[in-house]
Amino acid sequence: MANKHVNAIVVGAGAGGGVVAKELSEAGLTVVLFERGRWQDYEDHDHDELISQRITALGNAFGPDNERYRRVAQRGDKWVTVPPNEWAYNNNAACMGGGTLSYGAMAWRFMPQDFRMKSTYGELAGSTLADWPLTYEDLEPYYEKAEWEIGVSGDDSQNPFAPPRRKPQPMPPFPFNTEGRVLKAAALRLGYHPFPLPMLRNSVSYGGRPKCRRCRHCVGFACAVNAKCGTQNTVIPQALATGNCEVRTQSVVAEILFDDRGRATGVAYFDAQDQGQIQTADLVVVAGSATESARLLLNSKHRLFPQGAGNNHDWVGRNLQGHAYTGAYGLFPEVMYDDIGAGATVGLCDFNHGNEGLKGGGMLANEFIRLPYLFTDRRPPGSARWGLAHKDFQRRQFKHLTSVKGPVQEMPVFDARVEIDPVVKDHWGIPVARLSGSRHEHDVEIGHFLADKAEQLLKEAGATQTWKAPPGMGLSGGQHQAGTCRMGDDPATSVTNRYGQLHEIDNLFVADGSLHVTNGGFNPVLTIMALGYWVSDYIKKEWQSSRLRS
Amino acid sequence: MNRTGSGIRLSRRDFLAGAGLGTGMLLMGWGCAQRSAAQPWQVLTDPEARLLEAMTEQIIPADQDPGARDAGCIHFIDRQLAGFYRTHVETYRQGLIGVDQTSQVLYGKDFLACAWDEQTEVMKRLESGQAQGAIWQEISSRQFFNLVRDHTMQAFYGSPRHGGNRHYVSYRMLGLDYPQIVGQNRYRDI
Amino acid sequence: MKTKTNNQGKKLHRGRRIFLGIVLLILVSSAGSLGYFQFAPPEQTCLSCHEIQDAYDRWHTSTHREVGCKACHGGSLTSGIHGLVENAQRVIGHFNEASLGDIALSETQVVRMQQACRVCHASEFAAWQTGGHAATYADIFLDASHNEAEQPNNDCLRCHGMFFAGRISDLVTPVSTEGPWSLIESTRHDWPTIPCLACHEVHRPGPLARETKEKASDDTVTESVFAVSFYDRHEKMHFAADILPEPQLTWQGQPVSVSTDTRQRVCVQCHAPESSEHAGTSDDKTPRGVHEGLSCLACHQAHTNRADQSCAQCHPALSNCGLDVTKMDTTFVNAESPHDIHTVACADCHTVGVPSP
Repeated sequence: MANKHVNAIVVGAGAGGGVVAKELSEAGLTVVLFERGRWQDYEDHDHDELISQRITALGNAFGPDNERYRRVAQRGDKWVTVPPNEWAYNNNAACMGGGTLSYGAMAWRFMPQDFRMKSTYGELAGSTLADWPLTYEDLEPYYEKAEWEIGVSGDDSQNPFAPPRRKPQPMPPFPFNTEGRVLKAAALRLGYHPFPLPMLRNSVSYGGRPKCRRCRHCVGFACAVNAKCGTQNTVIPQALATGNCEVRTQSVVAEILFDDRGRATGVAYFDAQDQGQIQTADLVVVAGSATESARLLLNSKHRLFPQGAGNNHDWVGRNLQGHAYTGAYGLFPEVMYDDIGAGATVGLCDFNHGNEGLKGGGMLANEFIRLPYLFTDRRPPGSARWGLAHKDFQRRQFKHLTSVKGPVQEMPVFDARVEIDPVVKDHWGIPVARLSGSRHEHDVEIGHFLADKAEQLLKEAGATQTWKAPPGMGLSGGQHQAGTCRMGDDPATSVTNRYGQLHEIDNLFVADGSLHVTNGGFNPVLTIMALGYWVSDYIKKEWQSSRLRS
Repeated sequence: MNRTGSGIRLSRRDFLAGAGLGTGMLLMGWGCAQRSAAQPWQVLTDPEARLLEAMTEQIIPADQDPGARDAGCIHFIDRQLAGFYRTHVETYRQGLIGVDQTSQVLYGKDFLACAWDEQTEVMKRLESGQAQGAIWQEISSRQFFNLVRDHTMQAFYGSPRHGGNRHYVSYRMLGLDYPQIVGQNRYRDI
Repeated sequence: MKTKTNNQGKKLHRGRRIFLGIVLLILVSSAGSLGYFQFAPPEQTCLSCHEIQDAYDRWHTSTHREVGCKACHGGSLTSGIHGLVENAQRVIGHFNEASLGDIALSETQVVRMQQACRVCHASEFAAWQTGGHAATYADIFLDASHNEAEQPNNDCLRCHGMFFAGRISDLVTPVSTEGPWSLIESTRHDWPTIPCLACHEVHRPGPLARETKEKASDDTVTESVFAVSFYDRHEKMHFAADILPEPQLTWQGQPVSVSTDTRQRVCVQCHAPESSEHAGTSDDKTPRGVHEGLSCLACHQAHTNRADQSCAQCHPALSNCGLDVTKMDTTFVNAESPHDIHTVACADCHTVGVPSP
C-alpha cells in the first residue's frame, strides 16, 4: 500500500532533525521523521563500559550495528572497509535522538568570531576558511529557543568571554566537583576566567523530567533517570503530540527522489522489514549528520545534477571537520576523583580567540569521568602497557589523575571529504561513505598551544607529574562531524544558502552540522539545534507564502 | 474395530520408536555431559585456554589483588570469541601456536613449561614485533600481542556480565564502588 | 465413484496414520526425555549443559544445596513456557556456539518461587508480608503523589521491580508527570516489587540452611551476613553484603560514623544518599545525632521493618531530660517533627549547650 503524501520529510532524528520535525509539525505541516535506529534508553544499555558510545569494544550501544553498516576509510595509501565500532568509521549514534541520547551534553553557544573566522583571521593557505553567511546576532534568538525548549543549565554571566544574550540559561549551573574546585582556584591564580560548564542536563527538575542525580555514567550512556536533555525526550515527543508527525524508525533512506525539473518529490527508503518503499512529500529536510547527509545527497542523482544533489560545483562532502582534541594530564598527590558525575564541571574560554599568531583556539574543560577500561590507556609516555607496573599504576593513580582538554576549532580542508565508495555497499545495497583526507597542520599548532595551557593549569593546580596529549594530523569526524554541506551566499563555493536550502533545489534542505562553515572551538550540538530552529523558521515562512507547496 | 486395532498397533510401534529415540537423546545428553566435564570452553580448546590464561596472567598478574586468572579473564575471551569477537578466532588459533614457537626458539620448551620470567621475556618479544617463530612470518606478533592485551584489559576492567572481572575485583582494587551508592531523587527533595 | 472415494479415503487414512505416527513419536520421545529431566538428579540432567556449570557449582556449595533445581526453576514439565523456551534456545545456542550467560528466572518464576521460600521460611514470609517491602506494583508505580512530582523512570526498577524484564515504558503509562497512570499489564497489579530474591541469593555459599535453622532460636537467619545480598538488575547477579560498598557519609563537612554492620550495606543501596554522599540527602536514613553509628537493624526488624517497639530495647521511657520518648513522633514521615529518630541531636533542643548530667 502506498504511503500517504505528506508536507515534509525529515531524514534523521538527531539534534537538528528532531527540532525541525517539532517546529514544522507544530506549524501544521504533516511530517514523516525517518530514523535508521530505534527508540532506545538506559534499559537497552545501562552502565556497561564496554558497550557505550565512548568505548565501543563490544559494539556501539546506540548504533549503528556492526552487522549492517560499513564505511571505507583511508589507511596509508589503502582503502579499508571498517565497521561502526572502529575509530576510523567516525561514528555518530543511530537511534531516536541521535547523539543526544548518550552525549556528554555540553551546551555551548559559538562566539561571534566563530561565525567570522576569515574576516577575523584572514586567508590561510591550504584551508577553505570562510565566514558564515549568518552572524551570531542572527542566531542568538534561536540559541535561546534551544536552551529553553530543550533545557540547559549554566550561568554565562560567570564567563566574561560569553557572547551577549537576552535571557539567562533556564537552569542554574551544576556545582563544581573536586576537580572543578581545584582547577577553578588554579585558573584564578593564573588570571584566567573559569566558570561552570553549560550543560543540556537538568540541574533542577525541568520539562517534567527529574534533576540529574550525578551518577558516574554520563557521556556515552543514556540517562537512568532521564535527566539528560536530548531531542528524543523533548522536541520529538512534542512533535508527536501535535498529531501531525509520524516517526518511522528502523527506516533507512536510500535516496531522494526528484521530478523532471529536479525538484524533490520524496524519498526511497527501506522499512524495518528491509522492504523498499516510497514516501512522497512537498519538501525534504536532510539531517543525518555530516557524513550521512553528504552520502545521501551524493547518492541522489538526476539528469540535472549527475554527481549528486547540490553537487554541481563539487562541494558536497568537502570540508569534513570535527575537533582535534587536545590537552594534558596531571597526577596529583591528593585524591581528585570524588565519584560525582558527570565529572566535567569547569571550563574556560580564555583561549578561544586572541592567541598570538594563531587563527582561533578552543575552550578548555576538565574531562568527564574516566571508567576503568578507558583508564588503562591513560599513561605518561613510556609507561608500561601491561604487567605489574601497569596494574600498580591503575591501582595507585585511578583516583589521582585529572585531565584538562578541549576541542581545537579546525581549519576547513577541501580534501578532507566524504565520497561514495564505488564498490562497498551496506546491508541494503546502498553505496557506503568513503572518508579521506587529513587535518590542516595549523590545527596541530593550535593543539600544541592549548596543550601547553592545559599543562600549565594542571601544574598550577598541584599536579606533580604532567604530560601533554596534542592532536595529530588524522582526519576529524566522529561525534562532532560537520562542514560537508557548507552554507554560503555563493552557489559556486557552497552547497546551501544561509537558510540551509540547497542552491539548486528549492524544496530540499539540510539541517545539521553539515551546514557549519567552521565548527567553533566548542562542542557543536547547541549550534546544530539552533540551526534546526533557524532553518525551520525559514521553511515555515516560505510555506505560508505558498512557495514550497507543490 | 479394525481401525481401532490398527490405531493401537501404530501407537505401540510409535511408543517403541519413541522410547528408542528418547533413549538416544538421553545418551546424547549424557555424552554431552561427559564431554563438558573436560571441556568447559565454547571456542577454545583446553590447551589453547590454558596457554592463553597464562598470557592473561602475565598481562595482569596477581599481587595483593587478584590477577587475570582469578578474575576469570579467559572466560571473557572465550565467550567473546563465540560472539562479538568471532572474527578474531583464527588470529587466536594461529597466534597461540606462534607463542609456543617463540618460547621453543628461546627456551626449547612450550610457554606453559616456562618459568614466570621466561614467559615475561616471550611476552616482551611478542610485543616488540620481533618474536621468532614460523607463524610470525604471516601475522604480526605485535598485533596479536595487542589483541590479547586489549581483550585482557577489557575482561579485567569491564563488567562481569561479559565473563571476566569476577565479583568486580578490579573495581574493588581501584576503590570504585559497585554497585554505586546513588540516591533516587526523592520527590520531597525536588 | 463410490470405490474411488473409498480408495481416496484409504490413501488419506494411511497419510493421516503416518502423520499421526510422527506426531506421536515426537510426543512420546519428548515426554520421555522431559520426564527424565523432570525426575532425574541434576548431575544427570540440568548440568549436562556445561554453560550452567558455574551456577551449579555455586548451588552445590550453597546454604540451599539440599533444595533441588526444580523447587525454584521448575522442572522440565513444570517450568512453564519461559523454561521451555530458554532450554530450547540453550540447545540451539550450544550448537551455534552462541554465547549464553547464566540461566535466569523470569519474573513470573521469581514471584511463583515465593511460595517455595515460604515452605521453610514461613515466619519470615509472614513478617515480610506485613511490612513496607511487600509493596506491590500498584503501590509503587501508580502513586500519584510521586508521579506528579517525578515522572517514572528506568532507575525506579533498580529498587522496585528489579526482576521486571523491560523498560519503564513497558510497565507503566504514561511516562510523564501527568496522569492518570496505569500498568500496561494489569496482572502485575498485586505482584510484589521487592520479592525475597531482591535481598536474598539462593546460591549464596554457606553452611547448610537446615543445620543453621535447627540451631536458630528465633529470627537468626537475619543475623548471618551470608543471608543478605543485593540483586543488581543489570548485572543480573547478587552482590553479597560483604562485597557491597560502604557509604562514606559526611554531615556539615564532618564524617558520619556509620555502623560496621555489613548487612546495612544492602539497605543503603536503595535508601541511598545522593552521589555526593552527604548524609540525609535523597533517601539516606543513616542515623546521625544521638543515634549515630547504629545499624538500621538495631531498630528495624528485618522483614516487617517495624521499629516502633525498638526504643525500649535501650531506653527507659523517660529520656535523660525527662521527656517521654514513647510519645514523641520519631518517624521521618513528618518533616516538621523535631524528633526524627534518624537525625535527632542533643543540640536540637539544647541550642546553647548540653547541660552536664
